[in-house]
Amino acid sequence: MVKKIEGLLKKYVTIDILIDISKSRLIGTMANDREVLREIWDGKLPICFQLAQEEIMEIQQPDPFYVMVPRLSYFPLVTDKMKRHFLRYISQENADSEMWLDYNGQPLKWHYPIGFLYDLCCGNDPQLPWTLTVHFTKFPEDILLHCPNKDVVEAHYMSTVKEADVLKHRGQVMSTMQKKDHNQLWLGLQNDKFDQFWAINRRLMESHGENEGFKHIPVKIYSDDGLCSQRLVSPKNNDGSRKTLQQMTSELYPDKTDVKLRTHGVIIPAETPLQWLSEHLSYPDNFLHLCLC
Amino acid sequence: MITAEEFLTAAKKFVLISNKICDGWKLIENEWDINQSYISKETFIECGVGDDVSLLKAEYIIFYNLSYGVPSFSFNIWNSSGMLLSLEDVRQLSFISTNPKEFYSIITQQEHPLFQRPYFIMHPCHTEELLTSLQDKTANVIVTFLGLVTPLIQLKLPLEYGLKQL
Repeated sequence: MVKKIEGLLKKYVTIDILIDISKSRLIGTMANDREVLREIWDGKLPICFQLAQEEIMEIQQPDPFYVMVPRLSYFPLVTDKMKRHFLRYISQENADSEMWLDYNGQPLKWHYPIGFLYDLCCGNDPQLPWTLTVHFTKFPEDILLHCPNKDVVEAHYMSTVKEADVLKHRGQVMSTMQKKDHNQLWLGLQNDKFDQFWAINRRLMESHGENEGFKHIPVKIYSDDGLCSQRLVSPKNNDGSRKTLQQMTSELYPDKTDVKLRTHGVIIPAETPLQWLSEHLSYPDNFLHLCLC
Repeated sequence: MITAEEFLTAAKKFVLISNKICDGWKLIENEWDINQSYISKETFIECGVGDDVSLLKAEYIIFYNLSYGVPSFSFNIWNSSGMLLSLEDVRQLSFISTNPKEFYSIITQQEHPLFQRPYFIMHPCHTEELLTSLQDKTANVIVTFLGLVTPLIQLKLPLEYGLKQL
C-alpha cells in the first residue's frame, strides 16, 4: 500500500519529504504525526522576483532577487529586503506606493499563504524557482486587498483563525485564550518559530466533548480559476464513522468521479480521514486550503 | 444562529417590502447553492456641502455568513471617477462619529466569500449575540440586523420595514 501511494506521489512531486508525509499517515503513530507537522512547517519555495519592465527607470537593469520563503508564510512578511533591492530602480514618486506581485499576469493575493498560491498557480505544472513580477504602480484594487503594513496581515490572520475556531469549537478556544496567546500564535508564524507556534496552536487542534472530532472542518476548496467554495463539512458520516476525503468529494461533487485535491504540493490520498487532515495539514490560519487538480 | 433557509425566507420578505416602497433591494437567489443567495442594493450618495457636492456610487450586499451562521453586511463605495473609497473615507461619511480604532475594529477590507473580490465587510463576531438579544422583538431578522449596522454607514432604513404587518 505504501509503495503504491509512493509511486502515485512520485508522479506529482519530486520532494522526498512530501512522500514521507503519506508514509507516516499510513503508519499513524504519534511520533510520526508530529514529524508531519514539522515537515509541513519546514516546506520552502525558491522564488525569483523580477521588477516589471515598465517600472525600471534606470539604464542599468536590476538583477533578479532570489529568496527561499516558507510555504506557510505570507508575501508581505518576506518581501522587505526584496522591496529595498528594487526601490532604487523605480521612479522616486512611486517609492511609497503599494507594492504588488503577479505571476503570468495574474495578481497574487497576499492574504493567501504562499505555498497555497503556488499550488493554485503551478500545481499542475511545477516551475522552480517560481518567477514573479514586482510592481509599484497600477495597483489592481478590484482584485487585491490593500496591505499598507504588517498589522493588516496580522488582523487578517487572526480573524481567519477565529473563523476556523467558530467552525471547530463554536469559537470557544479562541475566546478563552488570553491576548498573549493570540500574540504568541502570530509571532510564532511571523518569526518562523515552530515550537512557539504549536505550543498554542495545539489547543486549537484539540477535540472537545464526548465525541472525537471537530464540529465542522474548516476547509476551502479552490478551482484553478481561483474560485472558492466553502461548505459546512462534518468530520463524521451519518453513521458516526470517520469521513474520508473521498466521501467529502463525492458529497460536494456528486457528478464528478475521481476528484483529486492538492495541498502543500501533495495530492492527498482519497482515503485520508478529514479529521486527521484538518489536524495535520491545515495552514497556520487553521483552514485546509485545497486545490482541485 | 440562523440557517441559510431562515436567512433566505427573511430576505424574500424584506425584498417584498422594498419593492412596495421602491427602496431598490434585489434578491439574487442561487439555485445550486442556497448559501450563496444574497440581497443587494445599488444607490448614489451625495456628500459635501454647498457648491462642493460630489456624487458617490454605493453597492450594499447582505449575505449569509456560513461559518458564523448570521447575516453579514458588505459594501463598496466609488467616487465619481470610479476609484474605490478607502476605509478612512468611509469612516468620515459615517452618520455617527467614531474614532478610527473603533471603526477599523468593526469594518475591514476583506475578500468577499461570494465574489472573491475586495469588499468592506463588518465583522460577524458580535452579530450573533446582538441578534439573539433582539430576535423575539421583531418579525424580520434582516430588519433587526440592518438596524444595527446602518448608523455606521450612509444607508437609510425607511420606517416601513419596521411596521407590524411584516
